[in-house]
Amino acid sequence: MWLVFDWQAAVVVDDDGQIIDDLKHNGFLSPRDIVQRIQSMKNDNLTPEAHELSTRFPDAKPRQRHEFENPIPDFPEPTKEQNLRFDEALILETTLEIQGESGHPDRRMEHLLRLSDELRSSQITLENRCIEWIGDVFPYAESASSRTDFLRKVAGCETIESFCSTFDVEVPTHDVPQKEWNIMAATANQAVKEKGDVDRIEHALRELSNQYLPSVSLLLGPLLAARMCVEAHGRERLSKLPSGTIQVLGAEKAFFHHLKTGSPPPKHGHIFMHPWISHSPKWVRGKISRMLAAKVSIAAKIDAFEGESWTEEDLEKITRRVEAIRNTRRKPKRKR
Amino acid sequence: MDSLVIEKSTLWTVNATPGKRVYGEKTRRFASIEFRKWDPYRSKIAAGMLRTQHDPRLLLPHPGSQVLYLGAGHGTTISHIHDIVCGQENKNGGRIVGIDISPRCIRDLLGLAKSRPGFIPVLADARKSTWEHTIHGQVDWLFQDVSQTGQLDIFLDVSSKHLKPSGRALFSFKMASERWSDEAKTTQIDAMEQRIASSGFECNEILNLQGFEDEHFLFVISKIV
Repeated sequence: MWLVFDWQAAVVVDDDGQIIDDLKHNGFLSPRDIVQRIQSMKNDNLTPEAHELSTRFPDAKPRQRHEFENPIPDFPEPTKEQNLRFDEALILETTLEIQGESGHPDRRMEHLLRLSDELRSSQITLENRCIEWIGDVFPYAESASSRTDFLRKVAGCETIESFCSTFDVEVPTHDVPQKEWNIMAATANQAVKEKGDVDRIEHALRELSNQYLPSVSLLLGPLLAARMCVEAHGRERLSKLPSGTIQVLGAEKAFFHHLKTGSPPPKHGHIFMHPWISHSPKWVRGKISRMLAAKVSIAAKIDAFEGESWTEEDLEKITRRVEAIRNTRRKPKRKR
Repeated sequence: MDSLVIEKSTLWTVNATPGKRVYGEKTRRFASIEFRKWDPYRSKIAAGMLRTQHDPRLLLPHPGSQVLYLGAGHGTTISHIHDIVCGQENKNGGRIVGIDISPRCIRDLLGLAKSRPGFIPVLADARKSTWEHTIHGQVDWLFQDVSQTGQLDIFLDVSSKHLKPSGRALFSFKMASERWSDEAKTTQIDAMEQRIASSGFECNEILNLQGFEDEHFLFVISKIV
C-alpha cells in the first residue's frame, strides 16, 4: 500500500494501483504557501493532506508523486488556476533562491574584494595623473607628507594664485587658464574621495573576513585571507584544496607554463603578499611558502567547519617555524 | 497564423512581447505582426533548422505543449521557443521549464519570465533530481544544451524518465566537453548513435553545426517506448 502525494493532493493506492482513499486541498493557496509546501516536501515532510491520510492508513508507505514509478490515472489533478499559481510559486522559489545566494558571505566577499581592486587601480591612476600634471606646472612644488594630503590641499585651492600662496611657490610664467585649473582641482578632489572610498571598502572587507575566516585572517591578515578565499571560489572550496594548490593560487599562468613546458614551477601565488615570504631572502621563500600554505589549508578547514579558531599562541608557534626556516640558510646556496 | 516564418535562410518567430527585444536581435513586420529574427549563430536549434534535410518545423515543439529545456543559459534560444510554444500572454497555454545551474543566468531569465508567462526558470543541477517536481508528468518536447562531461548520460537519464513516449528531443552535443580526437570523431558519433538507439530512442538525424557552432552536433531524437 502506498501513500502518493503532490503539493495539493494525496491518495492511498493498493498494490494493484487502485485508489482506496484520496484527499485534495480545496481552499486557496497563495504562491508563498505553495513555496512553503514545496520546500517542506524537499525535506521529506508530508503535506497536511498526506499527513491526514497517513493517520487513516498508517501502513501506507509515503512517496512523492514524481518519485512514484507507476502512473496513477485518477490522481486528483490541480485546477487550471491552481496550476497557474503553482507556476508563480516556482518562479518565486527561484527568486528566493537567487536572493539567498546573494547574502552568502562568499558572494559578498567577492564583490567587496573585486570592487576594492578596481577602485584602487582607478584611484592610483588618477592620483598619478594629478601629481604628474602639477609637477609639470610647478617642478619645485614641495609635496606634503603624503600624496593624499598634498592632493587634498590642491583640491582646496580655487585659483592658481591661492595654490602658489599655500605652497609658497612662484606664479608660473605662462598663463594657466582658470578652466584647466578647475579641472585639475576637481581631479585632485576625486582622487582624495576615491582614496576614502577604498579605505571604507577595505574596512568592510576586513571586518567580514575576520568574522568569516577568523583563523586564516589571523594567519595571513584579513585582506589576503579574503583574496585567497575569493580566488578559491569560496570558503568551502578553499578548505578542500590541497596545500600545494593554495601555495600557487594566483600564479596559474606560471604554473600551467610549468606543466606545459617543464619550466621551473612557481613557488608562490597570492601568498607571496604575506611579509613572511615577500620580506624573506629569495632562497628561503619557497620553503616558507610551502609551510605557510600547509598552515592556511589547516586554518581554512577550521574556519569552514566552524571549529575553534586559532589564537595568538598558535600564531606564535608558526612564527617560530618561520624563524627556524630563515635561520637554516642565512646565505644563498652556492651555485655549482 | 503560423508563429514561424522561413524566408530563404532566415528564420523569424512572432514576437510574444511586441516592441521588446531579448538579445538585440532584428525585428520586422510581416502583415502588421512583429517578428524577431532567430540568429543561427547564437542558437543551436536555429542552426539545426537550417541544416536539416527534412522539414525544419519537425524540430520544433507544438504550440501549447510542455517543454523541458536543460541548460537555459541567457535565454536567447528559449525566447524563440517561447514565441512558438506559448505566444503572446501565453495564449497557446504552453509551459516551458528552463533549468540552469548558474545563478547569474537565472537572474537574467527571471526578467524574461516576467514578460513571458508560461516560462518558468529553475535554478538546479540537471544531473540531480531537485527540479523534478517542477514538471507536470512527462514533457512533450525536450532540449538539452549542457556543456559538461557526460552530456549523453544526462540526456538518456532525463529523457527516459521525463519524455513522453513518441516525444521528440533535441540533444546538443559539444565535442570540447568530452575527451575526443579529430580522427576518432566519426566513430565516436557512431558509438553515441548506437547507444541512443539501444536505450529506447530513435536517432532521426545528426546535424553537424560546423560553420555556425564549431565542434557541435545536434541530435534529433524520438522516444520509441
